[in-house]
Amino acid sequence: MYKIMLCCSAGMSTSMLVKKMQDEAQNRGLEAEIAAFSATEFDERFAHYDVVLLGPQVKYMQETLAAKTVNEGIPVATINMMDYGTMRGDKVLDYALQLIEQKGGV
Amino acid sequence: MMASLYQGLINIIERKITPLAGAVGQQRHVIAIRDGFVAALPFMIIGSFMLVFIFPPFAADSQWGFARGWLDFSLRHREQLMLPYYLSMGVMTFFISVGIGASLGRHYKLDPVMTGLLAFMGFLLVAAPYHDGNISTDYFSGQGIFTAILTAIYTSEIYALLKRKNITIRLPKEVPTGVARSFEILIPVIVIVATLHPLNLLIASWTGMIIPQAIMHLLQPLVSASDTLPAVLLSVLICQILWFAGIHGALIVTGIMNPFWLTNLAANQAALEAGQTLPHTYLMGFWDFYLLIGGVGSTLPLAFLLLKSRAAHLRTIGKMGIVPSCFNINEPILFGMPIIMNPLFFLPFILVPMINAVFAWTATRLGWVAQVVSMAPWTTPAPIGASWAANWAFSPVVMCLFCMVLSALMYLPFVKAWERSLLQQEAQAKETSAVPGAGLQTP
Repeated sequence: MYKIMLCCSAGMSTSMLVKKMQDEAQNRGLEAEIAAFSATEFDERFAHYDVVLLGPQVKYMQETLAAKTVNEGIPVATINMMDYGTMRGDKVLDYALQLIEQKGGV
Repeated sequence: MMASLYQGLINIIERKITPLAGAVGQQRHVIAIRDGFVAALPFMIIGSFMLVFIFPPFAADSQWGFARGWLDFSLRHREQLMLPYYLSMGVMTFFISVGIGASLGRHYKLDPVMTGLLAFMGFLLVAAPYHDGNISTDYFSGQGIFTAILTAIYTSEIYALLKRKNITIRLPKEVPTGVARSFEILIPVIVIVATLHPLNLLIASWTGMIIPQAIMHLLQPLVSASDTLPAVLLSVLICQILWFAGIHGALIVTGIMNPFWLTNLAANQAALEAGQTLPHTYLMGFWDFYLLIGGVGSTLPLAFLLLKSRAAHLRTIGKMGIVPSCFNINEPILFGMPIIMNPLFFLPFILVPMINAVFAWTATRLGWVAQVVSMAPWTTPAPIGASWAANWAFSPVVMCLFCMVLSALMYLPFVKAWERSLLQQEAQAKETSAVPGAGLQTP
């Protein structure tokens, strides 16, 4: 079971991407829990997930947010602008899985 | 020449403005103030919605049956109708205090309920003059917002400091930890009462003004300046530049403008109640529904243009972006077209909302368009939201549609130019039989 969290300012535009990623995961027969939250909810939510992906518009928070997840070893990365704009659920899912693999699986 | 100018500008944005915006946008107090407003928002939106029942959107001498009935009803039951409004908008500082306190509490890993309540008490201590069993409500609304922010920050910082320095009542080891904790929680309350109350008394005896009065007195020039055309243009300009660099500029700008907007909104509402001319123009309804129609850059008309584009990529973006755009969410358009960091769109993206701002400001000031006096959720489709924010007047709908047409006209030549270059890329991609859209690079 892969647990992927998306995060942007209000969690609105990332929630559009969540749907696309869920569809993609289903097509691939992957078990995945994918959810979007606002930056305010970050602290109380991140610990449950394997990886956190940020909307490119809040990339400036990446350093601060990544510092909070160091102990848990949860990677925090920013989604590529073009993939975000075109809502490429497949590519963003690939990216998330790749990050999970890099840190040594779920 | 133009290209090097643009490059120079981008360099400044990336080296200077971006880090600054990142620092401001992540400053814990700026975040807490924003969280406080977000927490108070539902109460304020529903509370100010009551205004439409109290002040129906019809001429007072209307003879139309439906309007007449509504007007008579609102006159007869004014007092009862005002109650939910007074106890939400009229005491918005309560919600804001608790919201800011709770946010800072989360930041410092303190109990958010306790931090929120401490902030609430800190605010009451200085802003609720109590005489003969009556509390004055003068500073519970717009006039107390800046005080609420300051007292919430003060109380939360004190609580965090006491915790950090481990200042607590030391009891013998034999005392159960639960008992020790029950005393521990008293310390921040004592410290806050023992500092804020004397400070308020001291300031009152020096200046004859209690703290919220003194704060409003000091900030008056700034509050006035926030409702001028230069302030409108400057705030939009900052927002657009940041967003062009891919940073959520609206989050930062609204974080700073919110206290001013709310103070002035309360002033407009007080004027409406008193039957006077509304004093203020630049409020959140103006920002949300004239300057950010369909999202930052007023891209809703752009989404419609894209639907009919000859370039497949733009049509896809249009189809994907049109529905969220109706609710003022436009990341697919900004990042997908893309507009962000796309030199072609630099000028229109910056200028469209600024030009709209000049028109909307002028029309409102001339009295052609009704002013903002209510609060609507920013995700309301712009023409509806514009009307809602003006207590359901019709003129803001016209103003909003005018801004949309203007945006469409201003964006059109740039969309055409971008379409041409995309069509070329699509044609090239076909020749090399690559996947369509593969030639499209993230700028």
